[in-house]
Amino acid sequence: MLLESVLKVAEKHNAKRVNLVHVVIGELLMLNPEQLKFCFDVITKGTIAEGAKLEIEVAKPKIKCPLCGREFDEVIGICECGGIVSIEGGKDMILKRVEMEVS
Amino acid sequence: MHKIEVDAEVDILEENKRLAEENRNLLRQKGVIAINVMGAIGSGKTLLIEKTVERLRDVKIGAILGDVIAKDDYKRIAKYGVKAIPLNTGKECHLDAHLVHHALEEFGDLNLDLLFIENVGNLICPVDFDLGENYRVVMVSVTEGDDVVGKHPEIFRIADVIIINKVELADAVEADVDKMVRDAKTLNPKAKIIKMDLKKGIGFEEWMEWLRCVLQSQEELKK
Repeated sequence: MLLESVLKVAEKHNAKRVNLVHVVIGELLMLNPEQLKFCFDVITKGTIAEGAKLEIEVAKPKIKCPLCGREFDEVIGICECGGIVSIEGGKDMILKRVEMEVS
Repeated sequence: MHKIEVDAEVDILEENKRLAEENRNLLRQKGVIAINVMGAIGSGKTLLIEKTVERLRDVKIGAILGDVIAKDDYKRIAKYGVKAIPLNTGKECHLDAHLVHHALEEFGDLNLDLLFIENVGNLICPVDFDLGENYRVVMVSVTEGDDVVGKHPEIFRIADVIIINKVELADAVEADVDKMVRDAKTLNPKAKIIKMDLKKGIGFEEWMEWLRCVLQSQEELKK
């Protein structure tokens, strides 16, 4: 789906070659960046995105206690104050930027 | 030739989200409650559906049974005379909204009260694929080790019901059931947690109670 989206963007701009793809991945998707890069290299073969660099940015979820307002870096279930911690975001995969060569 | 940079903002997972919403709307229109049953291989997902179908003779039940290749689960449910659809995913380790969309079409007019969607046995991949279900049940068993809950946080976080099955075997496999319950509660304080041993009949009534509540609230909505 990532490659499809990249090729769609490239086609829209009549690109001849894709040099760089920047994606933002939610931390809670727990994707392994090395695996993703490897897969990307494999599936782009034979397309205009072959050899393009895949840049991966990890987006953290917003983890906050709705009772006391405390924010956390790590995902937890219950805050010290007894509030049930809410977790927002961190599960998206967004194609942010494509760098390409056009004629 | 010159180089350009384009800001794209394309949501890669959008297609699944869109189809899941379509499934959800369709199920709502038809008044069907859909339950996504997830869990490890051999945790007891199919048996839970079997026993439930056997018990709820007065409810119109359908089932979608996701499996990598075989149709064993399908056969186990279909023998009760309920409408069941086998769904082979091939090498895919989870169901997605698109596969479920097609399975729903096979139910024709969807004249059902309750639909079980048994996911592929896996505690990792199904997490990110909303199928359009109303409720999510995650089932594990003590034989997977009492650290199985803590090791797969995301799937327990999205669950409405967490079932810890085969508790009667806990001593034999030296598993600490209370630890599993604690881990589940910490990860997801809102979920209903049921200690179960399906083969011995433990916890099944608690599950039925939850299910009847869900069905009852649906009945009220229909009125």
